[in-house]
Amino acid sequence: MAYLNVDEIESALENLAAAYPATTELITVPNLTHEGRQTHVLRLGSTNAEHDGVLILGGVHAREWVPPDALISLAADLLEAFDRGTGLTYGDKGFAASEISQVMQSLSILVYPCTNPDGRHFSQTADPQWRKNRSPNGAGCVGVDINRNFDFLWDHSVKFAADSGVSASADPCDRNVYRGPSPASEAETRNVVWLLDGSPRIRWHIDVHSAVPIILHSWGSDQNQTAHTAQNFLNSAFDRVRGLKDDTVYGEYISEDDLDIVTSVTQQMDKAISEVRGVGYGVEQAYGLYPTSGASDDYAFSRSFADSARTKVYGFTIECGRSFQPTWEEAEDVIREVCAGLIAFCLAATEYSTSG
Amino acid sequence: MTEGPVFHVEVTAGSLADLKAFTDEMQPDDLGCRPVVRRRGTEFVLDAYLPEAQLDTARGSRPAGGVSLEVVENVTEVGLQRQQEVGEGNRFAARGAVPRGLGRKE
Repeated sequence: MAYLNVDEIESALENLAAAYPATTELITVPNLTHEGRQTHVLRLGSTNAEHDGVLILGGVHAREWVPPDALISLAADLLEAFDRGTGLTYGDKGFAASEISQVMQSLSILVYPCTNPDGRHFSQTADPQWRKNRSPNGAGCVGVDINRNFDFLWDHSVKFAADSGVSASADPCDRNVYRGPSPASEAETRNVVWLLDGSPRIRWHIDVHSAVPIILHSWGSDQNQTAHTAQNFLNSAFDRVRGLKDDTVYGEYISEDDLDIVTSVTQQMDKAISEVRGVGYGVEQAYGLYPTSGASDDYAFSRSFADSARTKVYGFTIECGRSFQPTWEEAEDVIREVCAGLIAFCLAATEYSTSG
Repeated sequence: MTEGPVFHVEVTAGSLADLKAFTDEMQPDDLGCRPVVRRRGTEFVLDAYLPEAQLDTARGSRPAGGVSLEVVENVTEVGLQRQQEVGEGNRFAARGAVPRGLGRKE
């Protein structure tokens, strides 16, 4: 076996949709990439419009080759196991047939395995450490970091303290974390926003990256606090002071209920992963040493606070494995860990179902 | 591509303060997807991607006394090798070629 190239990913989605027409829908996203590539999302599971949705992204960062392959494997596994009425086992972690049915019958799961195909193609054929997309930025520089381009505290130079060390750049020639000229300037970003806008039942979002390994929950902008509601990303009074570690001026507000939920869900994921090969990934808040702006997980979670008409979406990131490009043999084991973690994620989502 | 090799380095410290002192001084360009820290026992670990010259500087820097550096891999070299492990053509070009996942169906 070998890593999937970008053509194979799209064909795999088409063929899964053709093989399992009763339990899938192939969704064509509206925006072509700079190099003209069309990408697709495979929706699997429940067709009941009242059921909760889960959005799973892969391939946002080009050099992280395992996540897209893992998501194709996950979709194929869920569809085949549900069709045959079996369970699924990854290493020493088993899911019963009843659990697979529970996931497939009570959730609408949107799998978007390769969000940034131009970047992946460039990484797989030219510069293996390429991270961004391939949009020209002028001045001879190329690429925007999709995971700094979402509309969440995007203007980091205004929203964060100057000495916060926020992980983002306004320099179009920054090799890794250029945020782009405006929020959601990139086709790849707008495709994800389109999915969230057009699928109001989506209540869960997870962005699959590599390679730490770790599972991250909200927020990524500052250390969480549950006491001061005014300290939130919408409040411009805290512009230029956010993001400092261990200060007393600002912490990102999260309710105790939400913190309990994101903590419980990530712990369930970690437990499942740890049973695959005997080692878990660990769980942390997405704010580590420094803040991050414009990331998909924070954007997804922030949407309902910015606009109360929107559904609340819990946003997460999983960073899988220990290498951006492990040997294929090692990649297969990482894929098993990711699949176990994501099925546990979906099962946890069913625990908090709003559809009865 | 960047000039010269880039190394994946695990930076380990006994405290977050030591780790932050190191990164504040070194200002690594690349801390992976997110500048997050994982715990390993009682220690804190950060993954950084450093060009060879910056790795040499890091080893000699003052705050490096509070941290240990372990090279995980030369990501430049590994990446070029792995490009040989990318599929050629299209394994799923035929409509009937349906992918199968790695999970055991049982």
